[in-house]
Amino acid sequence: MTAYVIRRIWQMIPTIAGVILLIFILFNWVGGDPAQVLAGKISNPEQIANIRKQLGVDQPYWFQLWVFVQQVFTFDFGRSWSTNEEVSRIILTRVGPTLTIMVPVLVIETSLSVLFAIMVAYVRGTLTDRAIMIICTVAMSVSFLVYIIVFQWLFGFVLGWFPVQGWSESFWKNLFTYAPLPIMLAVFVGVAPQLRLYRSFFLDEINQDYVRTARAKGLPEKRVMLKHVLRNAMIPILTNVAIYLPGVFVGSFLLEVFFSIPGLGREIITAVNRSDFPVIKAVTVYLAMFTMVVNLLVDVMYKFVDPRVSFK
Amino acid sequence: MTDTLLQVQDLDIRFRVDRKHEAFRAVKGVSFDIPSNTTVALVGESGSGKTVSAMAILGLLPENAIIAPESRAMYGGRDLLKASLGEMQAIRGKDISIIFQEPMTSLNPVFTVGEQIGEVLRLHMGMGLRQARTRAIELLGEVGIPDPQLRVNSYPHEMSGGQQQRVMIAMAIACEPKLLIADEPTTALDVTIQKQILDLIASLQEKHRMSVLFITHDLGVVGDIADDVVVMQNGLVQEQGPVKAIFEHPQHPYTKALLACRPRLDRRPKRLPVIDDFMKGDGRPNLAERKRGTSASDPIILEVKGLNKTFFLKEGLFGKRAVPAVRNVSFQLPKGKTLGLVGESGSGKTTVGLTLMRLHDATSGEVLFEGRDLLTLTDREMMAYRRRIQIIFQNPYASLNPRMTIGHTLVEPMRIHAIGADERERVDMAFQLLKRVGLPEQSFYKYPHEFSGGQRQRIAIARCLTMKPDVLICDESVSALDVSVQAQVLNLLQDLQDEYGLSYIFISHDLAVVKYISDKVMVMNAGEIVEMADSDEIYRHPREEYTRKLLSSIPKGWEIAKVA
Amino acid sequence: MSAVLTTPAQAPVQESPGLWMLAWRRLRQDTVGMVSLVIVAFFLAMMLASYTGLIAKDWAKEKGVSYANPSFLAGAENLEAKAMAAKDAAAKAPPVDLSDIDPLAPYYGEWQKRAEKIAVTEVKRAETLPFGGDKWGRDVLKKVIKGSEVSIFVGLAGALIAVFIGTVFGAMAGYWGGFINDLLEWCYNIFTSIPYILLILAFAAVAQATGSFGKGIVSIILILALTGWTGPYRLMRAEYIKHANREYVKAAQAIGASNRSRMFVHILPNVSHVALVQLSAHVVGFIKAEVILSFLGFGVPVDMVSWGTMLAEAQNELVIGKWWQLAAAGTSMAILVTAFSLLTDSLRDALDPKLK
Repeated sequence: MTAYVIRRIWQMIPTIAGVILLIFILFNWVGGDPAQVLAGKISNPEQIANIRKQLGVDQPYWFQLWVFVQQVFTFDFGRSWSTNEEVSRIILTRVGPTLTIMVPVLVIETSLSVLFAIMVAYVRGTLTDRAIMIICTVAMSVSFLVYIIVFQWLFGFVLGWFPVQGWSESFWKNLFTYAPLPIMLAVFVGVAPQLRLYRSFFLDEINQDYVRTARAKGLPEKRVMLKHVLRNAMIPILTNVAIYLPGVFVGSFLLEVFFSIPGLGREIITAVNRSDFPVIKAVTVYLAMFTMVVNLLVDVMYKFVDPRVSFK
Repeated sequence: MTDTLLQVQDLDIRFRVDRKHEAFRAVKGVSFDIPSNTTVALVGESGSGKTVSAMAILGLLPENAIIAPESRAMYGGRDLLKASLGEMQAIRGKDISIIFQEPMTSLNPVFTVGEQIGEVLRLHMGMGLRQARTRAIELLGEVGIPDPQLRVNSYPHEMSGGQQQRVMIAMAIACEPKLLIADEPTTALDVTIQKQILDLIASLQEKHRMSVLFITHDLGVVGDIADDVVVMQNGLVQEQGPVKAIFEHPQHPYTKALLACRPRLDRRPKRLPVIDDFMKGDGRPNLAERKRGTSASDPIILEVKGLNKTFFLKEGLFGKRAVPAVRNVSFQLPKGKTLGLVGESGSGKTTVGLTLMRLHDATSGEVLFEGRDLLTLTDREMMAYRRRIQIIFQNPYASLNPRMTIGHTLVEPMRIHAIGADERERVDMAFQLLKRVGLPEQSFYKYPHEFSGGQRQRIAIARCLTMKPDVLICDESVSALDVSVQAQVLNLLQDLQDEYGLSYIFISHDLAVVKYISDKVMVMNAGEIVEMADSDEIYRHPREEYTRKLLSSIPKGWEIAKVA
Repeated sequence: MSAVLTTPAQAPVQESPGLWMLAWRRLRQDTVGMVSLVIVAFFLAMMLASYTGLIAKDWAKEKGVSYANPSFLAGAENLEAKAMAAKDAAAKAPPVDLSDIDPLAPYYGEWQKRAEKIAVTEVKRAETLPFGGDKWGRDVLKKVIKGSEVSIFVGLAGALIAVFIGTVFGAMAGYWGGFINDLLEWCYNIFTSIPYILLILAFAAVAQATGSFGKGIVSIILILALTGWTGPYRLMRAEYIKHANREYVKAAQAIGASNRSRMFVHILPNVSHVALVQLSAHVVGFIKAEVILSFLGFGVPVDMVSWGTMLAEAQNELVIGKWWQLAAAGTSMAILVTAFSLLTDSLRDALDPKLK
């Protein structure tokens, strides 16, 4: 297995190089001169001159690329163009709030989706099944924005069950006062698409030959579903969860914007608005690398989940 | 002498396709008995309803099946078709078990073999975990799996097809059922493995004194193992009775046709009888025999020297693993004759065919056609030779482009090779070819999905003929067809060879078919040629060990057993 | 070959349903699918009418009073309108007389006389509008229609480009394999290792700052297309790999068909249905994405309206009890997206029927 891991890490290198190249092309080449970009956003010409020097804007591109690569591997992207805060500090302090919201969301959403999906798969073909599917489709077509606006208004403003916005310094206060409404919102909206997807995974498995064998052995239908089908369906489900894992850090930036949560997602939106390139570049490159690591971990985990997988 | 274990009466099953169309009637009133301690063979071609009937007994039909209320399956005084789900679950796996055609997909890939066998023991016999595991090991030994203590922890994908089927059998007999339903259990297996599995089932049947309902399309197998035979066609039972009566005095024309149209090892009629000869004609086809063989003076049209093909697979950190599929194969194809190429799966026989056509790139060797080595030609030079060597593939459902009309499929090769002066002439030729292969002209405008397997193979043959080839490679071209359809296609191929002087390379795993159609036979194993001789010679006096093993695996069928 | 040539010229061309025709028939039987198709067609027609200026041309005109009530709420109170009216009235009231210190005072009378000569149309602002008005009195119904034009256009154009890129790349990678496959897989890995939303925001950041992706909605279309090609690529590549190994393609090779012929004449018609379903699914996804981007201000430019900008305005309106803009934009979007999603499902079932 070590050989496999080493080979995978070796294969990651061109991809990381590619990501760095893409971000560089996007922000340094297409993005161009910070003077132009920031014109109108920062009025201090000295500040702009400093930034230009730091980036090496007057230097040839390969030099700028080298600067960028150095930045990536020393975790030092300099300072934010707008707030002058250190980019690394920005990232580190914002991750906390995002995770406080997103980890509970991920756990609750996945559990509920799997549970509902099994139940719906059990009654497949009936009116209940089709009704729930249509409800999911309709629910998915209402924009997330509408949900946020309505929920915030209803539960925060009208009923007053939760604060409309805000965040505090205390972790526990956050978790139990400020986080529940956004978490509830995210779970409510996220279950519908997951339910549809997981239901299709279950149905794919139910149509397999080994399920027919299980029934032919005389197993009660419940055991067929919960033991045979579930165990096989977990494979694509886990793959799906793994794909969403890196997205957890970007969080739901909409939630963070609406509820004034100082998370990484809101930080990115602000950065985009202010054309604060260093922040965006840093977050993008690090999340890309994180995604690759997560993919590798998932592939290794596969071996324990799917016995058919072998490492060659 | 033996009492009846299970009685099927007036079985009538329909399948609901959709709301608009009428339900499709798959089984139209079928009745047969299964006595205890007996092997009953349920024989029929595809679409006969045999599998559906068997599945109905255990209530394993898909959700859109409708069973008529008057249908009955009487077992132990109860009608299984009307039993509750709980009652059926108590019977399944315990009193009546079933094994399926595809063992790989019928086993759950994420549980070990031991866990799956143990499951049925724990469910019906109330055994604990450890007890079940011990018993599972015993069962694995009983079905002939070597090293059962080790193999009990294996996963299905770690075993071969034959071993997987043995595991399925072990699971099925674990609770000592009174009836074992075997749904085409050997169809997906190699010939030699097939024989082993059949022997295993027969010995288990005798040892445990259980009944076996054996579903198959292969009459040869039936002759070997069955006590009683039920012949089905189109959802109806055409004939049933003890095996001796069925084979020696068949009554129904369909039974007679089925028995007659399979190529046999002892005779070689000029034309294989087909179903129509019996159903519509008088039933006594011309049985004049055809002599086959090669002589040293035959002109050679294709010569292969030292053909090698190795596949390279990635392995380890940076390495590659060499898998030799074809090793140093050499042979000569005489003009106007048929060279049969026989072997089991993995023997390399298909790779030889594909490499000759340059659909695979050979690793080394020469393929001499009219003195030129085809493997060294450039693509453009090869184009001139493409039309002279053609191939018919195995799967009739995959070899025609589903989105192209038959006409387009036939005209395309003519366009590419500039055959025919203009489009009009090409279309004319296409019509003629359709007639020649026995299809109506209207087929020109239709799509492949409107045709049966046998018809599609004929279209594939017609496509090859558009280019007037010299050599035709038939790569398992009749293996996927029903016996009666197979006979028709073989007759067509023979007619074409007689008329146009075509030379064939006939690749197959079916020894009886190969013997029937070939002049010379080449036996392959693990990429190498094991033996090569005229077809009569090789069947009467096989010299190599492997050849003899292959020949002994052929189900003899009733007739041969009697004659021999 | 037989010597007699039969002339097939008069042979009647029989009605033989191709696979597309069969799929269409299956779709026709699917009630949900047909209803969705009709709804989508209606929206498309509306989009064309709006694009050509037949309707909703004057959506930007401030026809109504501020937060005009919808017609069905005609009698309700409208505090904001009253406040605006009061402000207007106050503006028209004669100003305080500062003639002794104001150097311009002697000219006022003359200017007044001149102003009266210029015809000023006093537009009477409407008290109610069919679906209400927004803060500036613009007709919400017209905004919704115009907004749908933008959203649908962006969705369609973006999806078309994304699926086109994905199909071409997928075909090349799947069919040719080798180096081309490795190169395209490398590109794919790069794009997919960045979380999708982040990728879009990164592109949006650059687009916004520099305008290098074009002006107006071209920019957002390009952003969506350049980040969204990966899904279709993956699927089409898998399809091409699957089909390239099928026997009918090998048969085509055996008769001497060229590579180009095999890729486009043989394989493409067999995989185009996958591309079609992808197209439909991406239109849905891109409409939703566009709404969110426009909401955040990264989408359509300020002089255009989209459902997203309407929702942005609606955010603050709800607390003062003005709910109709939220309802209008939210509902019309929900209807279209639902219809399109159901249509996608029905298309998939019709084109690739599996036993349920």
